[in-house]
Amino acid sequence: MTVSQTQKAPQLRYRAGVALRALIAIFGGYAVAAAIAATLAMWLPIARLEAALTATMTGLIVYPCAIMWCFAARTPPRALGGLLLTALPFALLLAIGGQGAAA
Amino acid sequence: MTSIYAVVTGCAAVAGAFSGFAFLGLAMDRHWADVHGRGAEPSPAQRSRLRWCGCGQLLLSLLACLALRGSTQGWVLWLGALTAAGWMAVLMLTYAVRRLPGSGMAAGSLALLGAGVALLVR
Amino acid sequence: MKEGFRQSMAWLHTWSGLLVGWVLMLIFMAGTSSYYRDEITLWMKPELHRTAVTPVTQAMAADQAARALQKRAPNSERWFLSLPSGREPAVQTMWAPPAGEAKAKGKGKGRRRFEQALLDPATGDELAKARATRGGDFFYRLHFDLHYMPVPVARWIVGICAMSMLVAILSGIVTHKRIFKDFFTFRPRKGQRSWLDFHNVSAVLALPFHLMITYTGLITLMFMYMPWGVKVAYDNNDKAFFAELFPGLPQGAKASGVAAPLTPLGPVIAHASQAWGGAPAGRITVNFPNDAASTIAVTQQEGRGLSSDLPTLIYDGATGRPLPSPDAGRGAAAATRSVMYGLHIGRFADPLLRALFFVSGLAGCAMVATGLLLWAVKEKPKHLKAGRIGFGLRLVEGLNIGAVAGLPVAMAAYFWANRLLPAGLAERPAAEVSWFFTAWAVAMVAGLAWPSRPMWRWQLLAGGMLFALLPVLNGATGGAHLLVSIPNGMWALAGFDSVTLMIGAVLLYASARLGRATVTKTRLAGNAA
Repeated sequence: MTVSQTQKAPQLRYRAGVALRALIAIFGGYAVAAAIAATLAMWLPIARLEAALTATMTGLIVYPCAIMWCFAARTPPRALGGLLLTALPFALLLAIGGQGAAA
Repeated sequence: MTSIYAVVTGCAAVAGAFSGFAFLGLAMDRHWADVHGRGAEPSPAQRSRLRWCGCGQLLLSLLACLALRGSTQGWVLWLGALTAAGWMAVLMLTYAVRRLPGSGMAAGSLALLGAGVALLVR
Repeated sequence: MKEGFRQSMAWLHTWSGLLVGWVLMLIFMAGTSSYYRDEITLWMKPELHRTAVTPVTQAMAADQAARALQKRAPNSERWFLSLPSGREPAVQTMWAPPAGEAKAKGKGKGRRRFEQALLDPATGDELAKARATRGGDFFYRLHFDLHYMPVPVARWIVGICAMSMLVAILSGIVTHKRIFKDFFTFRPRKGQRSWLDFHNVSAVLALPFHLMITYTGLITLMFMYMPWGVKVAYDNNDKAFFAELFPGLPQGAKASGVAAPLTPLGPVIAHASQAWGGAPAGRITVNFPNDAASTIAVTQQEGRGLSSDLPTLIYDGATGRPLPSPDAGRGAAAATRSVMYGLHIGRFADPLLRALFFVSGLAGCAMVATGLLLWAVKEKPKHLKAGRIGFGLRLVEGLNIGAVAGLPVAMAAYFWANRLLPAGLAERPAAEVSWFFTAWAVAMVAGLAWPSRPMWRWQLLAGGMLFALLPVLNGATGGAHLLVSIPNGMWALAGFDSVTLMIGAVLLYASARLGRATVTKTRLAGNAA
């Protein structure tokens, strides 16, 4: 909306970029939030009721932040990359926890 | 809690919030200029005094709210009082800005008076 | 976005707000009204307006109610009694009809409806039968269960809108450069600038409330939106989780089949109240009354703190002996959740706090409405320059009218339906609700068909008249109007009439202002030509 577009092709590219970011933000962001929630629930060294609640409430804060990141990142690939980078340590922790007796 | 205590503390809460916003608003260049003419600015000493008094009044309002409703609901009451006082300040700054310094002083005095009476009556 | 951070956040703020703004208008308007849902329900039952209810002690109210229930439903599985409080001076009772009875009445659809009765606390007699209506509960349910759709679908829609709103608020804060400098700034009569100022002021002055209400709204349904924490911590055993979170619920307890008369409730309540240092009881649940295995759960009256977790004590139903109560020590996360839940539903005993919440909710409505209008006002010049109004802008302008001006018309129509529909009408509550949606549909279609200033004026005028005349309608159709309610201290009714009068006045003023502005504009255009 701030970049003036006079040709069709750049405008289409702009819209595709927005759509891509939106998809990454909505689904990717949720996936990251869910991963963080699951990891916290699994690994927090507190009573499982407390861990479950803390994880859930945190997940609901992570999600809007992830969405904001996706639109602040300079390009859609960067947005996705940032999400993946964030999710990586949590995914690893989930994998470890899922296999070990800690689950 | 006697009703006198409730009334004076309530006055302190509301008047303090309004007065605090009035002072803090006047400490800003834009609103000072609204009152004193275009381009006017408060001197550093005046600005500093307005800010200290403003924050002090907001703190007084907070303490009054905590006294009225306890340490949990009191915070909620304070935020609500700030909202209501904020609206009053905006309306005055928009439609009756010349009267704001006077109103701020009057409200501030009322708040201090209310707090004083509350401390005596408690 | 190749632009800077602030600009990308501004873009995100615009779209995350705009795309769900119309649904948010519904949620905010219905939700804000819900703070007074009991009072709205009372207004909508004019038969109860003149019922003077003699205040008695809680113990006596409970005993009288129990006596009444013993006559009506001695073999019910469960009784619920709500003792008189500031919001409701009568005793509300609900009971599960015994299985045999339910089938005989043809209600056997697998889900038994509870019977209910409103009782006089002094005598236990049922108060005058009031007309069937959903009252304020309609708005309460509307704001998260919507209507005409399955509940899970509605809650997902509302959840998506709420999350979008949270994104809009956070991005709005980040993008608002001069949040402190512009804190008090409102410049009226400057077109787009004024809309932006009003949007900023209504947002910033109640910002803690807006953040709180949006996030806590998500929290109330968080197990639906973000179930992964529970699933992982409890190995997919959701039942175990809920049993730990809500330990007071009866876990598959069964009646013993041995008859044992229910102990008097009065002493039980007095014991509970004393255990709480004098705090009054609010709700009593009797499981399997008149059975040897019966239990009585006494819950403290709400409104004293912020937490939605209310202390509950359990007693044996046959003897009145206290039983071990399930109030486990609450951890920080559980306490936080219940405070957040309590903040959202706002069942404060304190009229002042509730009023402040209501005012903040109205600020929220103003924030959403001015945001929607701001977008249309900003877009308009571009389209005017191009010579024609594009489809998108036309759609937005139409939806704006339907949501911002049309919803008040719909709400007023609901109240008018309450008084104009015959009291004995079959399916009455549904009929009242259909008036709401019919009025809204008409307003929406009209707005979309002709999105223009005159349409705004007409709808605001309609809404204003309908609201402002409600106090008159109240008196004319058997309710206690202002000249009766104020001298007699019936504050709930007086409050309803006063607030609707004020809302009507505001809408009428807005309609009038729109008319005057048009005249000024044409005069200016005439001078410029």
